[in-house]
Amino acid sequence: MRIWKKKWSTPVLVYLTAALLMAYASFRLPHLLPGDFVTAMYAGSDVTLNAEQEAELRAFYQNTDGFQGYLRNLATLDWGYSHAFMAPVSQLFLQALPWTLLLMGTAHVLSTLLGFVLGVEAAWRRGSLLEKAGVGIMTVLEGIPEICSGVLLLLVFALSFGWFPAAGAQMAYADHTFGQWLADVVHHLTLPLATLILAYLPGNFLLARAGMVMVLESWFVLTARAKGLPPVRVRYAHAARNALLPMVTRFGLRFAFMITGALVVETIFSYPGLGTLLFNAIAMRDLPLVQGIVLFSSIMVLVVNLGMEYVYHLLDPRVGHAS
Amino acid sequence: MHLDAGQQIGKDPWFITGIGILLLLGFLAVAGPFLVPHDPYDISFSPLRPPSADHWLGTNDGGMDILSELVFSLQNTVIFGVTAGMAGLVLGVVTGLFSAWAGGWTDQVLMRLADIVLAIPSVMVLILVAAFFQPSPVVLALALAGLAWPTTARGVRAQALTLKNSLHIKAAQRMGGSGRYIIARHLMPELFPLYLINFAAKTRMAVFMEASLAFLGLFDPGEKSLGLMISYALQYYYLDIWSNWLMPPIMLLSLLIMGATFVTISLEKNFDPRLRKTV
Repeated sequence: MRIWKKKWSTPVLVYLTAALLMAYASFRLPHLLPGDFVTAMYAGSDVTLNAEQEAELRAFYQNTDGFQGYLRNLATLDWGYSHAFMAPVSQLFLQALPWTLLLMGTAHVLSTLLGFVLGVEAAWRRGSLLEKAGVGIMTVLEGIPEICSGVLLLLVFALSFGWFPAAGAQMAYADHTFGQWLADVVHHLTLPLATLILAYLPGNFLLARAGMVMVLESWFVLTARAKGLPPVRVRYAHAARNALLPMVTRFGLRFAFMITGALVVETIFSYPGLGTLLFNAIAMRDLPLVQGIVLFSSIMVLVVNLGMEYVYHLLDPRVGHAS
Repeated sequence: MHLDAGQQIGKDPWFITGIGILLLLGFLAVAGPFLVPHDPYDISFSPLRPPSADHWLGTNDGGMDILSELVFSLQNTVIFGVTAGMAGLVLGVVTGLFSAWAGGWTDQVLMRLADIVLAIPSVMVLILVAAFFQPSPVVLALALAGLAWPTTARGVRAQALTLKNSLHIKAAQRMGGSGRYIIARHLMPELFPLYLINFAAKTRMAVFMEASLAFLGLFDPGEKSLGLMISYALQYYYLDIWSNWLMPPIMLLSLLIMGATFVTISLEKNFDPRLRKTV
């Protein structure tokens, strides 16, 4: 296959090592705790275990098959049992995952598209009042963390005005037709989505603008203009595609930030995704569940980042030649 | 170039605003605990009181003075941010310089290691460590630094490599300067603006992380932190006390991150040679 050229071995190796390191940390950390940590941990928890459950959990952590056996269990969805929710960890994870993907995916797509177009337009109108105001507003927004904007949106639109629900992803026990259900899901999605877009948009806007300003100084843009092409064509077909690169490179760096924000936003709006599940797991000290969520969200992050690396190679042929 | 940029940045309104905010909050964090009237751990007041002359921001559900709590929280958050920022910076600068100077295999190994650490989402590691060991905030800050150094190391390495081939470094080598001498007297001082940018960016990230981790319940519940205050106050958001309990920590946290953001963006704009033109 063409993508398995030599230049591909390095990133794949890097991400594979990172994933193995995460798995090893998750496997090894419990063993580093002194004494009988199962009893100690669950003593301070809301969950009370009977002797049988405690023994089961201890056996789970004293996994005698070693790291290989641990990896085999992970691959077969045997991630342990959550005593707080009385369900297997993998089942809880897979139930929460679609909501997180819906929320984060929509937020990413919308904020990237919007940020890119706004950034390109701002760079094109460089020096105008509109551009200066845009940069100012976006810089201020970049300084407001998700915790703060989320709580403010909750107070204003859910509590004061009551326009949007303050918690959940859909109405419980409602007998909806498909259309009504969809409207209900969107209605619940609005506030957390708005919070995340407010958090992601400024970064995308500022990056796209800075990249575009530099591209606009190139000779080929002057040529395109001199040929008499319509401005929209110069902007998008010639210039903007070159401003895409910095956005893709910075994506991986910003991703860890974004995940942290998404965890918090889900918790604020009690959105039933991985963030809220993790919050509850931490509050109830449900260790297998915490481990499962942490490990598998990390692996998903690694896969996304590897994908971005591939996109970057596709977008910029120069990278392949340079390395 | 550096002197030029140094003069220019003093006129950048974003930089002035950001530094102003940070100085104000820094003063509050350092001197505040001596100025507030009550002990933040004192639970002897009647709970959930509105603001009064004695308690400017009222009391919380545990009967603690909110103003005192706020000031101590700010202090802890700032300490966490500065510790993680400083440690991450030192780690990154040392690795970057060493990698650039040594070259060859050392460079290869260190940079691949940086790639791997960079790929791991740091918040997930911190959650894992915090959930199992419940360490003190300082340990978590150091762990965060241990995960945040690669960006700095890469930037420092790239700049050091271009410097390494410049004439004055070659001259210093010909005059018999040792590797340690050249790194300490030439490379390190000349990369100074990079340190400022990286320190500001890392501290901003650490403050954000601290608030988020505390909010998610990964800190000792007795600890004072802006994230924890928001988390507790949010449980009572439907009561009429959000204006004096929930809003103050939100405002302080936003101001803190905003100040750091303004400074970071302004420093990047003025000192990054590639971004100079976009100002």
